[in-house]
Amino acid sequence: MNKLTIYIDDKQFQAEPGKSILEVCREHDIEILTMCHLKGVNDVGACRLCLVEIEGMSKLLSACTTKITANMVIHTKTERIKKYQRITTELFFAERNHVCAVCVANGTCELQDLGYKVGMDHIRYPFLFPKCEVDTSHPWYVMDQNRCIMCTRCVRVCNEVEGAHNWDVKNRGYQVRIISDFDTPWGESITCTSCGKCLQACPTGALWPKAIVQGQMKKNPEIIDELMERRKMIL
Amino acid sequence: MKSGSSLLDAELHKTDPRVKLIAAKLKKENFKPDALIEVLHTAQNVYGHLPLNVLAYISKALSLPPSRVYSTVTFYHFFSLKSKGEHTCLVCTGTACYVKGAQVILNEIESKIGLRPGQVSADNQLGIQVARCIGACGLAPAVVLDDEVQGKVTLGEIINKIIDKMAAK
Ligand code: SF4
Ligand code: SF4
Ligand code: FES
Ligand code: FES
Repeated sequence: MNKLTIYIDDKQFQAEPGKSILEVCREHDIEILTMCHLKGVNDVGACRLCLVEIEGMSKLLSACTTKITANMVIHTKTERIKKYQRITTELFFAERNHVCAVCVANGTCELQDLGYKVGMDHIRYPFLFPKCEVDTSHPWYVMDQNRCIMCTRCVRVCNEVEGAHNWDVKNRGYQVRIISDFDTPWGESITCTSCGKCLQACPTGALWPKAIVQGQMKKNPEIIDELMERRKMIL
Repeated sequence: MKSGSSLLDAELHKTDPRVKLIAAKLKKENFKPDALIEVLHTAQNVYGHLPLNVLAYISKALSLPPSRVYSTVTFYHFFSLKSKGEHTCLVCTGTACYVKGAQVILNEIESKIGLRPGQVSADNQLGIQVARCIGACGLAPAVVLDDEVQGKVTLGEIINKIIDKMAAK
C-alpha cells in the first residue's frame, strides 16, 4: 500500500493510510496524552486529552479518532494544546471525589500520572463533590464511582473483548454514571462473567479487586491488546 | 453471576394485557435490536413509565444487554423509569372500544376525577393512559386497571373502581 507523507511537529513521516494520528505518533515515540484510548478496543474520543492541531483547521481534533490524510501537518505540543490538556485534567479531578492518599490505585493511577505530567499544582474549577456510590456487592471486585472519569474503557473491554456487556453509561451531562445491567448491584449481574478485564482496563482506582490493600493495586491495561493479538493468531 | 433472578423473569407478565401490546410491537418490528426505541415508546405509552421488569422483558426479546437498554432509557428525557401514578388506568381507544363508548369513559374520568390521558393525579395516586386495541375487543369497551382487564365496563362501575384504587393506596 502506498504510504502517505505527513508532518508531525515539523518532522516528516511516512505512514500507512487508515492509521490514526495517535497510532503514528506512538510508533515514533511522539508523546500524546490519552485517557480513554486503550489499545485493543475501539476509540470513542471521549476524554479530549489527545487533541492535536492540524494546519488549515481551526478546531482541535482528537488524535485517537482522526485518521491521517496525505500531507497533513500536525502539531502536538503547542501552547493551545497544553492549555486544553491542563483544563481537561483539572476537570477530571473536579468532577468526582479523587482523594489519592486513600485510594487503592495511589502510585499506579493513570489520572495521578496525568496530573503530574501536565504540571497540575492546583485546580481552578469548583469541585462538584457529587454523591457517588461504591458498589461492593460483587464477591471479588469493587466499583467506586468517586474515582471514575467516565473514560468508558471498562464498557468497551467488557463488550468488545469479553463479550459480556455488563457495563454501560446512564444519564447525561454531569449525572452520567457507569452502570451494571439495569443499574443494579454488580454482584447481581446476569451478564458479568467475573473475568476481571475491566479492572485491568480501568485507568484509575474506580475498579479494583477486594483482595488488595491501599496503594497496592497493580494494573495491566496492555493485557487487553495482547489478548486481542493472541486471539488473531488462534483464528 | 446470579441466574433466574426475579427481575428478569419475563414469563411473569404473559397474562398482562399491556405485555401483549408490547409483544405485538416486538413481533411487528421482527425482534430487531434496532427497534429498541420504538418498542420502548410502546411500553411507556401503555404503562405510563418503564418498570424494570418490562425493560428486562424487552432486553431479552431484542437480545440486547440490560445495561444497553437502561442506557438508552436514561439518555432520552422522554422516557421515565419512575411511575407516574401509583395506579394506572389504561383506556382502550381501539375501534371496537371506541364504538362501544371509550370516549364517553374518558370524558367521565375527566369530569369525575379531573384527569385526561397522559395526566397524573396531584397525589401521584393515579395516571391515565390510552392505547389502541389491547386485544380484548370481545370485551369492549375495555379498560386496564393496573394489570387487570375490565371488560364491558359501565360508566358508574369503572369510576367507582378507580376511586377505590386511589383510596386503597
Ligand atoms: S469482570 Fe469481566 S465480565 Fe465482569 S464487568 Fe468486568 S469485564 Fe465485564
Ligand atoms: S470505571 Fe474506570 S474504566 Fe470505567 S469509565 Fe470509570 S474510570 Fe473508566
Ligand atoms: S484519548 Fe483521544 S479522546 Fe480520549
Ligand atoms: S379495540 Fe379495545 S380491545 Fe380491541
